[in-house]
Amino acid sequence: MKKIFLLISTILLVSFGSKGETLRILAESGDEATIAAAASQFEAANPGVIIETNFLGWDDFMATIKLKMADNNPPDLAHGNQGFTVDGTLIQSGLVIPLDKYADQYGWKKLFARGALAEFLWSDDGNTWGSGNLYGISPVAEDVIVYYNKEKLKSLGLSVPSKFSEFEKALRVSKDAGELPIALGGADGWPIIHVWGLVEGAFVDPNQTRRWIFDAKNVKFDTPNRIKAATKLADMAKAGYFGSDSLGIGYDDANAMFIDGEGVFNLTGTWMTADFNSGMGDNVGAFAMPRWNGGVAGGGSFALPWHISSKSSNPDLAAKFLAHLMSNEFVDDLMRVGRVAAQAPTIAPTSNLQVEVIAASNALVGANAKTFYTDWATPGMYDTVTQELQKVIGGAASAQDFIDAMAAESLN
Amino acid sequence: MDNIYRPQKKIDYSSYLYILPAFIFYILFVLFPLGDTFITSFTEWNGISEKKWVGLEQYSKNLSNKKIISSIKHSFVLIIFYSFLPIIIGLLIAGIMIRVKIHGMATYRAILFLPQILSMIVVGISWRWIYAPKGPLNSGLDFIGLEEVSRAWLGSFDYALPSVGFIGTWVMFGFTMILFIAGVQKIPTELYDAAKVDGAGAIAEFFNVTLPSLKGEIIVALIFTVTLALRNFDLIYITTGGGPGTSTMIPSMFIYKKAFQMNQVGSASSLGIMLTLLIFTLVSLILFIFREKK
Repeated sequence: MKKIFLLISTILLVSFGSKGETLRILAESGDEATIAAAASQFEAANPGVIIETNFLGWDDFMATIKLKMADNNPPDLAHGNQGFTVDGTLIQSGLVIPLDKYADQYGWKKLFARGALAEFLWSDDGNTWGSGNLYGISPVAEDVIVYYNKEKLKSLGLSVPSKFSEFEKALRVSKDAGELPIALGGADGWPIIHVWGLVEGAFVDPNQTRRWIFDAKNVKFDTPNRIKAATKLADMAKAGYFGSDSLGIGYDDANAMFIDGEGVFNLTGTWMTADFNSGMGDNVGAFAMPRWNGGVAGGGSFALPWHISSKSSNPDLAAKFLAHLMSNEFVDDLMRVGRVAAQAPTIAPTSNLQVEVIAASNALVGANAKTFYTDWATPGMYDTVTQELQKVIGGAASAQDFIDAMAAESLN
Repeated sequence: MDNIYRPQKKIDYSSYLYILPAFIFYILFVLFPLGDTFITSFTEWNGISEKKWVGLEQYSKNLSNKKIISSIKHSFVLIIFYSFLPIIIGLLIAGIMIRVKIHGMATYRAILFLPQILSMIVVGISWRWIYAPKGPLNSGLDFIGLEEVSRAWLGSFDYALPSVGFIGTWVMFGFTMILFIAGVQKIPTELYDAAKVDGAGAIAEFFNVTLPSLKGEIIVALIFTVTLALRNFDLIYITTGGGPGTSTMIPSMFIYKKAFQMNQVGSASSLGIMLTLLIFTLVSLILFIFREKK
């Protein structure tokens, strides 16, 4: 009995005794290495501060984050997700605070080009997206680019394309030579969003796509250029450029296939850089998708936004931790854990692939050509776009069917 | 002392104390959530805001949603695979067992029952591997020269639903088999002797003795498997996620997606209530069809 009493009182002492200087963080597990590095640095620099971290995998995180933030004892600092489904709901319910005060204090707005932070801007009622106050910030950039197998491209007599038509020609040559042109994990649905983002980007003005994502109800989806892009995607599927089995292959398996030397191209996000690099060494390269008339475009955005809870007892401390994540000193740490920093790094890239990925990323930022992700547009868009794209890839729907279904979902 | 033997007129309320703990749990975790879901189904609610009363609007929206209607049709296809096929296979095995004595039957029975005790998650992941474009099923088909048959089973718009359904058959037939074997053992052997005397062959014996005697077990199996086919979630979630397109979408996937992805908890609740009513109706129908006729 005495032992139990001792145990309980110790637990109580530990949990309440240090409450004032504890920072509680809830993050999506993709950021585990990042937060582990940042937390130990921050604790060392701020004696007395204890950082408690919790991580959840993507599905669990997205299914529970709103409830966790609505809890009476929420984390001080947590990820959200761009769009009305998570960020919009959190702001509408007053569960997170605007960060403008801290952005001014720590100079976050000066780090990026004008308009680059639009995906974090919201009206205070959470009903208008793309302008307003700063709700959320992230130090990490995620871009959807084209990875390719260098050996294969060379042996097929091809070079990195500078126009979309050259990319198409490379696909045709690959197919004719008996290679799988594009490794795609279509069974999971969402990887096709990335493919669509690149094809859409090749034909549709990025500004137009971003305007549609911010305000899908009032901005036309079914424009002639987008119909052209959808037709192009359907043609690519019909030509067999994704292979015949892509809807039966998951994202991880498709990437494993690509690493094992199956597939000339892989259209995915820069979060895969570290894996491809360790699996393929110098045999993998990367470029930003060229548009039909030259220039580049592609899906991509900042990584998940960080939010400070409106119930946090110490928002200043949470902001100070965010400032550490956003600081120039931390950029190199981000690179070491394999993430692509939104700011320019100060250390030399650690691999050839990283050089090319950073070049692709810079090209996209320079052209202001990141088009986010299609599924951000409405709460039901993720379902609609994944289902409709699977139909296009599987030949069960035409380009026009896809455009019609998307235009209808835009109004929801 | 003698009052011990007197028949008690009063109900001994103290006995209810014994079921109280379980009953509290039942109220807390079954009745209360059910009532709450029912109330929520008449509202518009994103999960954290104030609920807004909208009456029957969610129900009428669900009924006019073509995707939801087609998902219910998929559930009925799954009933064939989750319920009818396992019951037929189970009956067949039970019928054979009466005629043929197999050495080491207990072992076979255990092996055939194994899928039933595995977690659906394990089953789903294993079968996803089996059905993979380069998985063992396709390798086997290629090996015996059936390259034309092999395909991405779970990625095919035509074959994904039956492929997932077949997993259900594989999981459920162990359950029906055990149920029917147990049922067969309580059939008096005199009935079989009498059938033999009357000159009944194996098939006549099965239809005249075994099948009628297993009526109770068949009802139990039907209710259990039909219910599972309709409320099934984990297997679809793990194997196809409702895809490709919407070809394996079922109502429970919609409930999950609406509640946790789209912020439409009111709509999800109304769909949940509709699914509950559908299951209730089907179970009542089964009981009505198989009722004892006086």
